[in-house]
Amino acid sequence: MIELKGVTRRFGEAVAVDNIDLTIETGEVCVLVGSSGCGKSTTLRMINRLLPRTSGQILVDGEDINKADPEALRLNMGYAIQSTGLFPHWTVARNIGVVPTLLKWPAQKRDERVTELLALLGLDPETDARKYPHQLSGGQAQRVGVARALAGDPNILLMDEPFGALDAITRESLQQEMLRIQRQLNKTTVFVTHDIDEALKLASRIAVMDQGRIIQHDTPEAILRRPASAFVENLIGKGDRGLKLLALRTVSGLMERHPEPRHPEPVTDSLNESDSLRIALSLMLWNNTEKLPVLDASGAEVGIVNREQLLKVGA
Amino acid sequence: MPSSTGLPNRVIPVLALAAFVLVWLLNLGVVQPNRIVAGTGYGLFDATGWFGAGTVSSLLLVVVVLATKPIRNRFWVLSFLLTAALMSLPLLLEVFALRKLPADSAYARIGIGAGFWCLAFFLALMLLETLSQLKASRRVQLSVVLLVAAGWWLCAAREGLSSLSLIREYANRADQFSQALTVHLSLSLGAVAISAVLAFGLALAMVRRERLRRPLLGLVSFMQTIPSLALFGLLIAPLGALSAAFPALQALGIRGIGWAPALLALIAYSLLPMVRNTYVALMEVPEAVVDAGRGMGMSERQVFLQVKLPVALPVIIEGVRITTIQAIGLTAVAALIGAGGFGTFIFQGLGQAAMDLVLLGALPTVCLALAADAILSALKFQETPR
Repeated sequence: MIELKGVTRRFGEAVAVDNIDLTIETGEVCVLVGSSGCGKSTTLRMINRLLPRTSGQILVDGEDINKADPEALRLNMGYAIQSTGLFPHWTVARNIGVVPTLLKWPAQKRDERVTELLALLGLDPETDARKYPHQLSGGQAQRVGVARALAGDPNILLMDEPFGALDAITRESLQQEMLRIQRQLNKTTVFVTHDIDEALKLASRIAVMDQGRIIQHDTPEAILRRPASAFVENLIGKGDRGLKLLALRTVSGLMERHPEPRHPEPVTDSLNESDSLRIALSLMLWNNTEKLPVLDASGAEVGIVNREQLLKVGA
Repeated sequence: MPSSTGLPNRVIPVLALAAFVLVWLLNLGVVQPNRIVAGTGYGLFDATGWFGAGTVSSLLLVVVVLATKPIRNRFWVLSFLLTAALMSLPLLLEVFALRKLPADSAYARIGIGAGFWCLAFFLALMLLETLSQLKASRRVQLSVVLLVAAGWWLCAAREGLSSLSLIREYANRADQFSQALTVHLSLSLGAVAISAVLAFGLALAMVRRERLRRPLLGLVSFMQTIPSLALFGLLIAPLGALSAAFPALQALGIRGIGWAPALLALIAYSLLPMVRNTYVALMEVPEAVVDAGRGMGMSERQVFLQVKLPVALPVIIEGVRITTIQAIGLTAVAALIGAGGFGTFIFQGLGQAAMDLVLLGALPTVCLALAADAILSALKFQETPR
């Protein structure tokens, strides 16, 4: 658990972070979202003491972080940044092994960990491990950056716009990976982004920041349904928040489940259990149909989603 | 499908034709009655007769044909041919000596003419072009250089070339030559080593304290602007006075002339490229890389030793390379204030109007600079991530 109590950071006269209170529960993904210069990166960098705070308290699991040795503190916090910051003179494997090396893990344990992480992030442990960062594509480099952040098996992950510089398709696939990894590892994560869609997709709770203050701190659904101010309303986009709300839920929660999985009829389109309701609605519009079958991973039909029910979700 | 190596090469024929014209137009060699009197020049045909002139001409024509025709492996053949030609080039001078050197005169000697130098130069250029067409590895390039050097070494040791003026000058000064080599190397490399340590400290100070940057860079730039001869001269008086005042310094060999002022001046000149490169290298380590290092829990010391320094190293080595080449050249000038080294031969030769003695000083200086360049380039290449 990370607690920020009355934390302020000034740069000279300017106030970057203004007396904020924020509690991040263990295992949740807290996304700090806001336009550039709103203080979200400054907040993140105060948590691992890359920046000292001007006043207030930051506690990790009840302990004030200023009491710990800053290096020891950071070794227990994975850190991934937008420009990856991969060491250009080291191979991918050595880059990922940085924190285990700093923690003085035995070589064999470290190498196993590197291989495990390469596989987890969808990289090839054989060929990619020996590459140098400049031989990677942007998406691969960012995967290595995330793998490096996870390498020391930290309790906390700090991510500063890690996917900000990637193209839309690569970003989308890395977001999916993040969700998958997070389900598997349950790290307490602080994630900074300016992209509200990314925030809605990844967050357990979102903290909307503006001019150094936290405007609203709540679950994605609550933020969409009850924006605290005109600023938040603008940020989420008034027009399509109904669709964004649908995007938060998967069809598996809404479908009418069959008592027994059955063999699917050969229809034009069907849904997967993990698809969002937004996709379900889109497919219904496209096929002009009231109902769509839902298939599980093995391809068996496990239920039906119908439009009537789906349209009630937004209300 | 025609590969790039199948296309006619334009560079090599042009070089070969230029070599062909020049070697026929210019004097291949000179016969001097003694070491000072200007001698009589001989063209390719006069100097080496049908055999020599024919061999050289046909070699160049074969090269032209090979370079333009799409023959398989022609660049391998060419590199082999050109290496062999370069290796055995001094044999031309041997033939020349055999034919034209008066047998009765003990002082007569042969000098190398412009035609010979041109031929050697153009052959080397053609060899470079073939090697780059072959995308030869550093190892192959190095072996070719060593082969050519070995060829010249073997030729120079032959009895037939003992009448070559350059070799006579060397034979008269074999002891001085090895001493000059030692002095030249220790002066230039010593200066580079000392200024590398100083420059590293200065650059670090500049990185830590931005305030120091302008005055320090200004100072080392200013030292670079003093003409080298003037700096060597300017140091004579203060060092002489110091040495007179402190006998202990005198015992160390520190006097107004000799190695001490030379070393000081060389260090002063080496500082600018070294400080500038080290400073720029350290400053240009991407901020994100340093931030990531710190953010993952490296201490400042680990960030410096494991991240900043290795990332900066290729540019730092580049500074050392430039400095070393410059110092080797400048050391030749330091002979003027009695520091020794190959410059001694150059200034003696100039004084005696004996050009081959000048060459005896100049050629090894150039070779040392080239060798330093090759070694440090290879080191830099090694340290650059690929």
